[in-house]
Amino acid sequence: MKRSRLPLFTTVFILLFFYVPILLLVLNSFNASRFGGSWEGFTLNWYVRLFNDGPIWTALRNTLIIAVSSTLVSMILGTLAAFALHRYNTRLQRIHYTLIYTPLVVPDILMGMSLLLFFVAMGFQLGLTTIFLAHVTFCISYVAMVVLARLQDFDFSVIEASQDLGAGWWDTLWRVLLPMLAPGIAAGGLLAFTLSIDDFVITFFVSGPGSTTLPIRIYSMMKHSRNMPIINALSTILLVVTFLAVWSSQRLTREKRT
Amino acid sequence: MTKKLMLGVIALGLAGIVSGCGAGKPRLHLYTWADYVDPALVKQFEKEFNCRVVIDTFDSNEAMFAKLQAGATGYDLIIPSSYMIITMNRQGMLQPINKELIPNLKYVDPDHLKYAKDKDMDHSVPYMVGHTGIAYLESRVENVEPSWAMFDREDLRGRITLLNDMRETIGAALKFLGYSLNTTNENELAEARDVVIRWKRNIAKFDNEQYKVGLASGAFLLVQGYSGDIVQVMEDNEDIVFVTPQEGTSTFSDDFVIPNTAKQVELAHAYINFMHDPENAAANIEYIAYLCPNIGAYELLSDEIKEDPTIFMDPEIRARSEFIDDVGEALALYTRMWDEIKAAD
Repeated sequence: MKRSRLPLFTTVFILLFFYVPILLLVLNSFNASRFGGSWEGFTLNWYVRLFNDGPIWTALRNTLIIAVSSTLVSMILGTLAAFALHRYNTRLQRIHYTLIYTPLVVPDILMGMSLLLFFVAMGFQLGLTTIFLAHVTFCISYVAMVVLARLQDFDFSVIEASQDLGAGWWDTLWRVLLPMLAPGIAAGGLLAFTLSIDDFVITFFVSGPGSTTLPIRIYSMMKHSRNMPIINALSTILLVVTFLAVWSSQRLTREKRT
Repeated sequence: MTKKLMLGVIALGLAGIVSGCGAGKPRLHLYTWADYVDPALVKQFEKEFNCRVVIDTFDSNEAMFAKLQAGATGYDLIIPSSYMIITMNRQGMLQPINKELIPNLKYVDPDHLKYAKDKDMDHSVPYMVGHTGIAYLESRVENVEPSWAMFDREDLRGRITLLNDMRETIGAALKFLGYSLNTTNENELAEARDVVIRWKRNIAKFDNEQYKVGLASGAFLLVQGYSGDIVQVMEDNEDIVFVTPQEGTSTFSDDFVIPNTAKQVELAHAYINFMHDPENAAANIEYIAYLCPNIGAYELLSDEIKEDPTIFMDPEIRARSEFIDDVGEALALYTRMWDEIKAAD
């Protein structure tokens, strides 16, 4: 029997669809042409300009501070929320579920505007702190949903077994529950990190003086900036860093196993 | 190990948040478009006035306005477009400019002020101006006349683009017909609509972004475009020429305003004064390729820039050109005409 070639073609096509745009971006970061319409020769000019562009690095720093901190906090809060939602089926938890679910469906612009009105009414000074709070608000929901899905397949008799075997609640938590939930928490965290790092609409409204993030800066650059192509260079660097991080973490885990 | 790492990251994050509030020097918070000032000038200002300039950016006047209206504060100096300043002033968001603190106001181009919304600079000071025009590839388009009539050229069919902006595109047709681009007269608008529909048969598409790539690569031969954009495309392709249509065109002006909630009012005035120092204004024009309406700066510019049609407009054409204004209720008329243009084939 001849095997169908269809799966192969589909896979190749989808991979191309995913990776060609990224490849083009990397190529264009070395392209002397400003608009990437055609190849005008190899240049490192955009990288030189990138390293001399202070505001971009400030914006990147802001973005990373917020993405890392809001991811960590929402991982903790989201997991706790998911646990409560799974364990108790009371009316309060059903309301809780609705509250957790709402940020997933509320349009960003509405959320940004209402958070801004809230912060202003509370007399908060807008800045990194308010962006952090806003990001935690929507990141919790994503983490909670992912962890909740993980909990649905969770066999709670394992917990009882561990307690039977004499483990206290701390040991059960650290050595049984968390390791088993870890993939779900990590997946939720990654999702939260991605959402936080490229959020524009909500961030725009709740940002204050001195807290411009990378997406806000990039959107604004489309208006008057003559430095737009340095974004390609920055994205390339971020890509390389991400790939290196993933690659090294895979190597580390592999070494541990052997 | 991982726990320690996590704590470390959190501590680092918190340190970052806290360090954003410390420091002794006064801070001037500027809210503006990205890369809209020569960074060397900002450094020089920081040194001269022993302060820090913190620049935050917005990407549209409307979003910036919505944010301020909701009560966002902390900005000392904002650079919106002049049409938005009218609204902001009407809402009582702006404080008056103290002219005594800005002696360099004497350099602000009186010709520009003649057309400006805030002629006496009571609550705003012009920063940068630009305009819309026609760009084309010199080697591929013959018999060019600097007129909106170029969009009627059938020999260029399919290689032309118009802006995908209701006011700009209908405005070009209104100017072509000799009307004001802020007209509220329905008959004039209907005539303009018919002109745009005629042009539409010649063009490849209505477009605000891709036309730059298309012109640089030669896919498009003639485009309606913003002067600031065209300057950038010219750096890619030397064959590109920019002309300002003799019938007149639309211009915009981005101006300094000081919001009511500003804390560093004096420093904000000092910044305006600094940017209108002729030498600084000239450096800024050279860097960002828009025109700072400052007569002192004009003399200091290189000849190349003085003759650059993307920066300077012929005074006669300038007199025929207009700012895009708030047209009030007639906006609905514009929208209807624009829908009819989009629907026509």
